[in-house]
Amino acid sequence: MSTALPVNGNHERSAPSTDFTVKTGLARMLKGGVIMDVVNAEQARIAEEAGACAVMALERVPADIRVQGGVARMSDPKLIKEIMEAVTIPVMAKARIGHFVECQILEALGVDYIDESEVLTPADNTHHVVKHGFKVPFVCGCRNLGEALRRISEGAAMIRTKGEAGTGDVVEAVKHMRTVTAEIRRAVLMSDDELYVYAKEIGAPFDLLKETAKLGRLPVVNFAAGGVATPADAALMMQLGCDGVFVGSGIFKSGNAAVRARAIVQAVTHYNDPKVLAEVSCDLGEAMVGLNVDTLPESQKLAKRGW
Amino acid sequence: MSGNDSITVGVLALQGAFSEHLELLKKAAEQIETPKKIGFISVKTPVDLEKCSALIIPGGESTTMALIAERSNILEPLREFVKVHRRPTWGTCAGMILLSEAANRTKKGGQALIGGLSVRVNRNHFGRQVESFDAPLDLSFLGNDEAPFRGVFIRAPIVESILPKEECCTNASSIVAVRQGNVVGTSFHPELTGDLRMHKWWLGEILKDLTRREELLHAQENH
Repeated sequence: MSTALPVNGNHERSAPSTDFTVKTGLARMLKGGVIMDVVNAEQARIAEEAGACAVMALERVPADIRVQGGVARMSDPKLIKEIMEAVTIPVMAKARIGHFVECQILEALGVDYIDESEVLTPADNTHHVVKHGFKVPFVCGCRNLGEALRRISEGAAMIRTKGEAGTGDVVEAVKHMRTVTAEIRRAVLMSDDELYVYAKEIGAPFDLLKETAKLGRLPVVNFAAGGVATPADAALMMQLGCDGVFVGSGIFKSGNAAVRARAIVQAVTHYNDPKVLAEVSCDLGEAMVGLNVDTLPESQKLAKRGW
Repeated sequence: MSGNDSITVGVLALQGAFSEHLELLKKAAEQIETPKKIGFISVKTPVDLEKCSALIIPGGESTTMALIAERSNILEPLREFVKVHRRPTWGTCAGMILLSEAANRTKKGGQALIGGLSVRVNRNHFGRQVESFDAPLDLSFLGNDEAPFRGVFIRAPIVESILPKEECCTNASSIVAVRQGNVVGTSFHPELTGDLRMHKWWLGEILKDLTRREELLHAQENH
């Protein structure tokens, strides 16, 4: 017998390396906060001074990815490092759907959360990253309950709506949040035998669906994302039941980023107080121009990426 | 303030894990014996704070909470609550940072603090999220022969230096729980575990504080 050839490809990592409580715990600490997209250290500092509870480090905000086209990939690690050095709040970064090596690189850099994101061009059109084996926690997007529970089943410790990133149009984020909520309400009323059928129907693991039905909400923290551009948008998503808000292009594509960022932070804390919302909505300068999702060609919609 | 037989305990709800504390407090209150009716509220404004006899400052981002507190005009009322009225206040993680008189590794330009604990904390002491962990802790103040308490540490701070007068609640070299008079700080997150022991202990401390205040008031009236 000759010696065996090596079997390359060991990406299926072994048993979960850390307790899920520690991963979901950080997401719980982010609740009631705003996570802002930043493309350099200077923007990261503006976000931190505005009161962001975390920043998302990336090379191009989604609005620019739309304009420039091409393949969007993980950001240059040097840029992510510069941002990590500039601020003391948690730093997140995006990896392409299914690109587990980008995830390994981001973990090695020490980012605090990885967003396996449809905003970047998918690297795998069938599989998502198996996230259990990573020590760094993951956040993933969803359009409905089935998608959310599939991601949690793969190991996501936090969920966000997909919305339609880079448009400044909140309509899709609202649709996705309302869909998740409506589906959870249906599940809450179901008996076990109905839940088995429903699990099959929405492509969700039964155990997670049952847990969701028992809790009356997703079992992990759920943020709004994809189209939030104003304090009112942010408060709308909070009143619809989100735990916090991601703002991507909405801040640094607007007229006065620092002022708008502060206003959105205040709006998320005081989302139930219209007087505060009126106050913080005053004199913010120009909002990002925005694209109507209605007029967007199908090929340019990012939310449908992910399986 | 509330009437004699009912009290209100608040959880600061500017940002972070406040709902978890509210949930555990409610469960803990069901398990302690007291003639008083204890109500729980989330605190976002000075008006909310005025109703409270005691307060938890939860985990979250301390820089975020400090900035929102300043802009919501509740930072000074919080300082008065802790340092002038000396109401029982417990901070977990970011909450402990805010209750410290000094903090290391803050954002550029520093951050506002409430104060109350004469300690210096070191933010993100253990490192970033990949260095977060949980570990069993022996917390002697919960009683002898108690099972270890599961401490969840998330980008956690520790008390780096401490004045001699404080009662220190740990034997380890890293100080993860501290008390000075009415103020308690913990690096870890009892609100993430479902273990009610710390919340029960703290409610007990609030009730002792109220009894002391009532006795004092009584003594003053009799003179």
